[in-house]
Amino acid sequence: MRRRAGVGAIQKHRLEQEKYKEKGTEIQENQFQQMSKQLEVFRENLEDFASKHKSEIKKNAQFRRQFQEMCAAIGVDPLASGKGFWSVLGIGDFYYELGVQIVEVCLATNYKNGGLITLEELRSRLIASRGRAKKHQDITNEDLLAAVKKLRIFGNGFTVVPISKGKWLVQSVPGELNMDQTLVLQKASGLGTAWVSVSVLTSDLGWTEIRAENALNHMVREGLAWVDSQEPKETLYWFPSMFAECVSA
Amino acid sequence: MAEISWPWQYNFPPFFTIQPHTETRSKQLEAWEQLITDYLKATKQSTIDIREASNTPLFNNIEINRKLSQEAILTILEDMAKAGKAAPIDKSKNVWEVYWHSLDEWGNMIYNWACNNGFNNSVCTLFELREGDNTADQEFHNLDMNVLVKALKSLEAKGRCELMEFDDNQGVKFF
Repeated sequence: MRRRAGVGAIQKHRLEQEKYKEKGTEIQENQFQQMSKQLEVFRENLEDFASKHKSEIKKNAQFRRQFQEMCAAIGVDPLASGKGFWSVLGIGDFYYELGVQIVEVCLATNYKNGGLITLEELRSRLIASRGRAKKHQDITNEDLLAAVKKLRIFGNGFTVVPISKGKWLVQSVPGELNMDQTLVLQKASGLGTAWVSVSVLTSDLGWTEIRAENALNHMVREGLAWVDSQEPKETLYWFPSMFAECVSA
Repeated sequence: MAEISWPWQYNFPPFFTIQPHTETRSKQLEAWEQLITDYLKATKQSTIDIREASNTPLFNNIEINRKLSQEAILTILEDMAKAGKAAPIDKSKNVWEVYWHSLDEWGNMIYNWACNNGFNNSVCTLFELREGDNTADQEFHNLDMNVLVKALKSLEAKGRCELMEFDDNQGVKFF
């Protein structure tokens, strides 16, 4: 005789399910508590660490970078705010100070580069203007990029334009560069000539002549590029910010 | 010829094309004016003949194969004229005098020299001023004759000297 599933069996099954579920949430909660406890401990340690090594962070560029990376990995931004716990550490101050110096260098070289400067030039000028002590000299590109990013709160007056791997330009004039203009800068930097032309852009980037002319003319109007009409073949557009003798002048 | 220390722009090819963008152009003109003044000072010249100037090293950088056109030179000189740093000599604006000091400054310089060396109330020939041993260490030594006369005339207008001519020679009496 075939037996049908009884009510008892169904209830037993449901009870089991419920128990599993309960156990599951219990374990989950446990894990969550442990996790947050660990994270809390970690944060505390990190803050301890930061306050203990405050001066080291200010002085040592490599140490500073590693600390930054560590913070980024766990989602802590020691520069995020001047208030709160992190301000006690004064890590932000280092970058604020750097930011002011960056603005000064950009303004001082604006007359010759039209407000566009390579990160290398910015760095060497900055180092030259800072104190002689080792801790003043030890500024990495990462430090500069972090500081320039902080300057963004003043509007789009300061922007970083990536040119190629490990190469950046800092733009210190208001007015954002559009995609095409960024590509033009990348091309000029990639060729290493400090100039580009309509034919270079049409052949290398597959642009139409009008597109190339528009981008180039806009950069001339912004004071970023200089026109050279003495090349027999075609007009060349030069960027003083990439011209070696201008950089070292 | 004295060594010229060329600015970085001299090797920057577009420096030899007058720039269309106003701000860039004013930077360019400023750099050219400085360079022209320094060059003339170093080579002890005071005049530029636009018709020939395109071939001098000042306006023609053979190494990068760029030169400033006559119109471009004229543009720069006219800009200098606005600040009193240059003036055309002929009506067609081909020949220009460039003053690396203004005429007033030249005048004062000569007058100071005269006072310091006891030439008040005595007469010097212009030849003495330009080529005499007494002025060998002065900046106006070998100064272009026309510029010298103009500088002295500006001094004369202030009542500090009087230009005079005797025989074939020109002289000046300081007060």
